[in-house]
Amino acid sequence: MNIVVNGNNRTVESPPLTPLLHVLREELDVLSPKAGCENGGCGACTVLVDGTPRRSCLTAVGSVPDAQVTTVEGLGAPESMSDVQQAFVHYCAAQCGFCTPGMIIAATAYLEGGGSADRAEISEALAGHVCRCTGYLKILDAVAAARDGGFDLSTTAESPHTTVLT
Amino acid sequence: MKAVGARLPRYDGVGHATGRTVYVDDVRVNGMLHVKALRSPYHHAAIKRLDTSRAEQMPGVAAIVTHADVPLLVYGHLSALGIPADEPLLGKEDVRYKGQPIAVVAAEDTDAAQAAVDAIDIEFEELPALFDMRKAFDADAPQIHHWGTIYPHFEGEMNVRQIRKGNVEQAFEQADRIIQGVYRPAAIEQMPLETQVGLSVPEPDGRFTIYSCTQALYFSMGVVAAHLQMPLNKFKFVGGTVGGGFGGKVDTATETLCTLLAQKSGRPVKWRWTREEEFLCSSTRAPWHMEIIDGVTSDGWILGRKMLTLHDSGGYARFSPYGVTKHSFHHTGAYTIPNLHFDGYVCFTNRVPTSAMRGYGVTSVSFAVETHMSRIAEELGVDPYELRLKNANRIGDTSPNGIRYMDPSTVDVLHAIAGATDTELAAPYSDATREMRSGEWLPGHLVGQLSHSEDH
Ligand code: FES
Ligand code: FES
Repeated sequence: MNIVVNGNNRTVESPPLTPLLHVLREELDVLSPKAGCENGGCGACTVLVDGTPRRSCLTAVGSVPDAQVTTVEGLGAPESMSDVQQAFVHYCAAQCGFCTPGMIIAATAYLEGGGSADRAEISEALAGHVCRCTGYLKILDAVAAARDGGFDLSTTAESPHTTVLT
Repeated sequence: MKAVGARLPRYDGVGHATGRTVYVDDVRVNGMLHVKALRSPYHHAAIKRLDTSRAEQMPGVAAIVTHADVPLLVYGHLSALGIPADEPLLGKEDVRYKGQPIAVVAAEDTDAAQAAVDAIDIEFEELPALFDMRKAFDADAPQIHHWGTIYPHFEGEMNVRQIRKGNVEQAFEQADRIIQGVYRPAAIEQMPLETQVGLSVPEPDGRFTIYSCTQALYFSMGVVAAHLQMPLNKFKFVGGTVGGGFGGKVDTATETLCTLLAQKSGRPVKWRWTREEEFLCSSTRAPWHMEIIDGVTSDGWILGRKMLTLHDSGGYARFSPYGVTKHSFHHTGAYTIPNLHFDGYVCFTNRVPTSAMRGYGVTSVSFAVETHMSRIAEELGVDPYELRLKNANRIGDTSPNGIRYMDPSTVDVLHAIAGATDTELAAPYSDATREMRSGEWLPGHLVGQLSHSEDH
């Protein structure tokens, strides 16, 4: 069967019940989706399938023939990052970075679907995406700011969540 | 000093945001083998028979490693700190926690490796297990560790970490109130999103290149070199890209066994733990049992503290004696108490061995101390800020282990919390400083401590 990954036609040899995550990582060498749990519990493997975020660890490749699959590699390269990617850099929303590919995919789908900068709504949209590093606040900052774009990537945003001891 | 105070961009931010960061599981090497482990299904058992000959013949199997293949089976991570070695890399005579590794298989893929693990011939004799550290002191507690149920090597030969300072009985006699509390934080899995993972690649010159998710690279190098009994210059470690650790990646989980398998098979070997293995078999933060008894005056001076701590180390010592020592040094928290009597024990149980997590040994005692401070404030009807500011560490005060504070920040932190929460403090608490005690900040029971510390 075939799938389209980040705009490239790819032939898949793995059996149809193979999880899409395994096909992407082990057969096609698309490495940004992460195997955090392989059980649907963490969100690190999330990719867009025909524009909708899906947990690739729970998606049998045979169930998405000819699908358009998008991972963060496909959202933007270092020289051409999307606004969401730039916002994650500028707000330090990626710490160890392991949850980041799934977070950015989910945030992109949320904003493309017309999602607002309301923190409660962003939290709802990112529910089920586990991050053990950031405490989530900087991720909310980044997603809320992402639509504005034009980030200065030579510096890091001031965080409203930091108290400076003087 | 260009970086201090500047809002520099993260050096790895762009890699993370574009999916280009290479974690250990993203490293690809030709001919890579994959690992599965035979783990103990019992919390405590004797190993009666172990035979891998049938498993070795299974399709796709390249190498199997058991205790017999490890040049130095038992190595002490902290023997340099006087903590003797007790934990075998792979179970030999017995297993002391569920999930303890006994053998590892490297095969063409994980399915082949698992099939071979299932084909290993092993016989256990299940033994009684101990799960409640408080029962480690019972005469009839199951014996799980060759040292007994309490770690016996503090200062070489003591089963307790002790601190004695001043005269706690006298302080209790002078006190208006005795206030007690028991605090029992449970185990926590660090749960980094990236599970334990390692890749060891044998090089043509006899060296190994080891890709590691460790938080402690040089530490892991030492561990691998010791178990293999090879010099450090035979190992090139590639690390620094860690998918979260939080203390859970201080223990060397995969690198040593990957390297033994790579040595035996002559091929690159990768081992990535499943989330289930991470939860069941990787080290956790320890459960603690802490009892605090304080003698206090009715206006909120803490005259003396008696404390008993039990630390659940799981089946082996690992870093626990070090953790309890740190814990003992911090058992007054950010406050000064001149009369102390502390006893801390490392207890062995049949849980997974416990290890570091975010402030190893100290987080537990900070939780207990701060909760206890609030309890004292409540029972005395004293304002919780005032109680804390009164007893706050000041320049010249001494820690439980006799260190004289040169620049303690308790007062400043309390003022910052009050500011951030719009809490009005009354004088003299609002103008307290970290400076040396004098006047009303120097009550009788602290006079001795100050002059004592100035003598030295
Ligand atoms: S790896 Fe798919 S949800 Fe965790
Ligand atoms: S940045 Fe580490 S898990 Fe989210």
